[in-house]
Amino acid sequence: MNYKKLLSAGTVLGVACAALMTGEAFACSPDYSGVTLNVGSQTGPFIASALQAAAKTWSEKTCGQVKVIEFPFGELYPKYVTALQAGEKSFDIMTFPPAWTPDLAPFLDEMPAAMRQTDAWKDIHPNYRERLMVWDGKTMTQSIDGDLHNLSYRIDLFEDPKEKEAFKKKYGYELAVPTTWKQYYDIAEFFTRPDKNLYGTVEPFRRGGQQFWFFFTHVASYANSPNDPGAMFFNPDTMDAEVNNPGWVKALEDYIRSSKYSPAGALNYGYGDVNTAFAGGQAAMALGWGDTGVIAGDKKQSKIAGHVGSAMTPASDQIYNAKTKQWDKFDKPVPTPFMAFGGWQAGINANGDHKDAAWNYIEWVSNPENSGKAVVTGGSGVNPYRYSHMQDIKPWETIFTEREAKEYLASQLDSLNAKNVAYDMRLPGYFSYTEILEIELGKALNGDETAQQALDSVAQQWNKLTDDLGRDKQLAAYRNSMGLPAK
Amino acid sequence: MSVAAKSGSAGRDRVVQQDGGGKLRWFVLAFCLVWLFFTLFPIYWTFITSFKPPAAVSGGPTYLPFLDFSPTLQAYVDALSGIRGDFLKPFINSTLIGLSATFLSVLVGSMAAYGLVRFDFQVRLASGLIFVVIVFALFFGLPKLGLTRIQGIGIALIVGLAVSLLANRLRLPGPVLGNRDVLFWFVSQRMLPPIVTAFSLYLLYSEAGRAGLVMLDTYWGMTLAYTAFSIPIVVWLMRDFFAALPVEIEEAALIDDVPRLRIFFQIVVPMVMPGLIATSMITLAFVWNEFLFALLLTTSEWQTLPILIAGQNSYRGDEWWSISVAAVVSIAPMIVMAYFLARMMRAGLTIGGIR
Amino acid sequence: MSRNTSETMPAARSGSRKATPRDPIKYVFLWPAFLVVLAVGLFPLVFSFSMSFQSLRLIPPLPPRFVGFDNYWTILQTERFWHVIGTTTLIAVISVMIEYVIGFAITLALHSRVPGERLFRISFLLPMLLAPIAVALVGRMMFHSSVGPLNDLFTHLGLPNLPFLTSSNWAVGAIITIEVWQWTPFVILMLLAGLQSLPVDVYESAALENASRWRQFWDLTFPMMLPISAAVVFIRLIESLKIMDTVFVLTGGGPGIATETLTLFAYQEGFKKFNIGYTSALSFLFLVVVTVFGVVYLSLLRPQLEKRS
Repeated sequence: MNYKKLLSAGTVLGVACAALMTGEAFACSPDYSGVTLNVGSQTGPFIASALQAAAKTWSEKTCGQVKVIEFPFGELYPKYVTALQAGEKSFDIMTFPPAWTPDLAPFLDEMPAAMRQTDAWKDIHPNYRERLMVWDGKTMTQSIDGDLHNLSYRIDLFEDPKEKEAFKKKYGYELAVPTTWKQYYDIAEFFTRPDKNLYGTVEPFRRGGQQFWFFFTHVASYANSPNDPGAMFFNPDTMDAEVNNPGWVKALEDYIRSSKYSPAGALNYGYGDVNTAFAGGQAAMALGWGDTGVIAGDKKQSKIAGHVGSAMTPASDQIYNAKTKQWDKFDKPVPTPFMAFGGWQAGINANGDHKDAAWNYIEWVSNPENSGKAVVTGGSGVNPYRYSHMQDIKPWETIFTEREAKEYLASQLDSLNAKNVAYDMRLPGYFSYTEILEIELGKALNGDETAQQALDSVAQQWNKLTDDLGRDKQLAAYRNSMGLPAK
Repeated sequence: MSVAAKSGSAGRDRVVQQDGGGKLRWFVLAFCLVWLFFTLFPIYWTFITSFKPPAAVSGGPTYLPFLDFSPTLQAYVDALSGIRGDFLKPFINSTLIGLSATFLSVLVGSMAAYGLVRFDFQVRLASGLIFVVIVFALFFGLPKLGLTRIQGIGIALIVGLAVSLLANRLRLPGPVLGNRDVLFWFVSQRMLPPIVTAFSLYLLYSEAGRAGLVMLDTYWGMTLAYTAFSIPIVVWLMRDFFAALPVEIEEAALIDDVPRLRIFFQIVVPMVMPGLIATSMITLAFVWNEFLFALLLTTSEWQTLPILIAGQNSYRGDEWWSISVAAVVSIAPMIVMAYFLARMMRAGLTIGGIR
Repeated sequence: MSRNTSETMPAARSGSRKATPRDPIKYVFLWPAFLVVLAVGLFPLVFSFSMSFQSLRLIPPLPPRFVGFDNYWTILQTERFWHVIGTTTLIAVISVMIEYVIGFAITLALHSRVPGERLFRISFLLPMLLAPIAVALVGRMMFHSSVGPLNDLFTHLGLPNLPFLTSSNWAVGAIITIEVWQWTPFVILMLLAGLQSLPVDVYESAALENASRWRQFWDLTFPMMLPISAAVVFIRLIESLKIMDTVFVLTGGGPGIATETLTLFAYQEGFKKFNIGYTSALSFLFLVVVTVFGVVYLSLLRPQLEKRS
């Protein structure tokens, strides 16, 4: 297959040369013939199919080749680290979640300044452009995907007059899309009817099932105070873990409450099961990434296609302030969407042989036109991260109804623009921290420990881990990831 | 009664007599049927799930095709189109590497097992210790002189072996280890959890690549690794089959001055055919399904099926139908192989029974 | 065992077994295997052994420091380590016991010319031929609370929503069930091959003496099958102690660490945290445990094995 491509590339080159000789500018531009780029990715179709679709058109444009090498998501990290650490050049480009950027940054190439001066650059939403793509003051990666958590809900259930009446009778206010966690739990309780195989909500709780991101979504609403920025996970001055403060404890109590209103067996649900359950009609609401909405809206996979509403995640009007050790009260609930996962990033191997070509390819993958196509392709797994993705609803109507599309895009854009948006922590040794958290969460969910006990244990282990890894280094990295200036 | 039964098909009636006992036969049949159901139901389930449209999966369990759901080939089309990862290349890779590694390890391993049964090996513990000491000394010492790790281990291996072999001839004090211990040494290679072994092998191959001998993501690299780690199983399992053989036949041949190797290949091997085939099947299953080495030691060219299957376990949506397709694709060749080997096993019994 | 054979065959003594001119050929038999295993296995062993005495974290990249026995002490004092060993041993021992009993029963059944024997023979082998990761995924599908058939079945029987995977004890049971499902074929395969190589004469004489079926089994079959049984059980135990994929896919090691096995623990430490020194020490501790266990197992069995004629 490679021979065929080489042959066609060679033919194009031949024609180009002939054309050049006649003075016409018809060539591989820029010319990367003979270059083969190896891109590491998780197994398709999510993200990998977007990379491959762009690879095809890029090859036609530049006469270079792209090989997308796929691995199971769980094994991607060890694969990258072992290869980079051994000095192997197996990957020219690596795609990974921003949480891995601190660990991989020493091996990555900085983005060329030219790429940051285009119009397309300004189209990228600042949350990605200025925060997630940046590490240690330098732009080290390019977003090729967007990620945040939002709420999906069943339009048919919420707008059913009988349900609305019964709800009003029981709770005293109109059934509507929840804006606070209290409303969220009232609605969840209302819709939990095990004998009818319907439950209020569905969230993942299984260790290794990405559950901690959902927990962080709850935490953000109670611990990310606008009056004390960057203190959600750690104290920004001492790097002491904040995970056992009253805000976190309230969030964990909420999270445990969610498990009671989720389908039976949800304690073993990973995020994939959440999508299956919601698309299968088992829950009235679900928290999740954009994929939840897209999968539930897909007529081929879902029983509830056409009835999928989207909104920002619920919020709270009281947020704990770690500095004053008081609960800050606000007039209205403060939307605090959590940029869970942060969206796949592409990084270039600093040791690679074809860095120019690599950056060119990545620019092509993420340019407004190609990424715009990817976000509306169901199997691509690419969620919006550019303004242009979220402004035109016409392409979205291929997968959603008009109302579904409007709500979906609004929830994405509003979440990104929310003043109190919360970012994921990004630290070296990220996995070590989250493993500790997952184990203690499991114990709390199982009732083996109270919320406070579990989080006290996490705090103790996190502090020890921070010391093992070097407190000063971790503090600098944490301030970096929270957008705070270095001390 | 039993004498007459002996003339029946290969050895079946050797052990249990077929006299009356109807109730027992029914019980045995019922037991087998229950176990059959238990064994096959998950495989049946996987098979039909690979044909289910997604709605038939997320809505709850459905059991009968055409009745509960309408089967579709979509999952197979998606798989073969490559958007869920390349299916064809890993398939070919698994086949090539699997067959080669199995063949080599069964060949070399059976010879070793036979050797351990028929001959006496004597290893002085002292010379073993000398080997260990030399290897460690050279492994740590040589890099300080500027040699790479791989050169260090290579030299350490050769020098260590040479010196300890010579030392073995001397009358050193201390216990003498025999066949049993050599056997235990072989099996102990499988007792380490594969994590660090895989990682260190990756480093070794990576350094070999820099020294000029590319082993990562190659056919020979993978086959060698799998052969080395399958030999212990082969030796361990084949040993009892060889030991159960009566020695007279070989001794008759020895008196006739037939060389040992010929005795092995032409007389002994046919007699242990059932065991040999069983061991081959097991070794092939192990290599075909091994995950960790395959993950680390390959990149783009020689990925094998288990990595592909693991890759179907997507973290954003559990597509059970695609996972089922991957599982079906992976088990289908094994079923074919099992069928053929089972037939060979019956035929081999007949040969083995002739005395 | 080979020594026994030669002792009962005095005529052969004068023959070939220990004749010096023949001896060199024994090296041809043993050395290829020995060399291949040694050459490939030596570096990993030496490397991991030396790493176990150092603190080496690849992420974040820190230079290795020599720490002596620190890694070992830390592990031995970690409660998680002991818990994990307990869980792993429990799963391994129970699974192998069940596999052996059922496997032997099936083997006898297959050997007794039960109708449909050919179909049984091939079908019973199938689970072993699936990749462990595939078995784990299939297992997850089967035990799934909403899309899985098991929950459906039990709900119909009046026991809805059993906590197969969410309660610690049930989860261990689920893992054992999957292990038994997948590996009983291994036992069947090996025992069947062994059964078919048994000599016929002893059964003939037993039949002439009108010995009952049970007597035949207990006095003849079982003792003669003891060597192969011991070998099969041993290998199954060693492999079962390394169980990982099933646990990883089904429960991730949860709830908490209730179902975490040793290889999974090592995997998280080694490949997710890249705590290489710690993982090496862990691997060697595991090796020590298994070796001790193996030595005890084999020495307990040896008198039994030598007893048979």
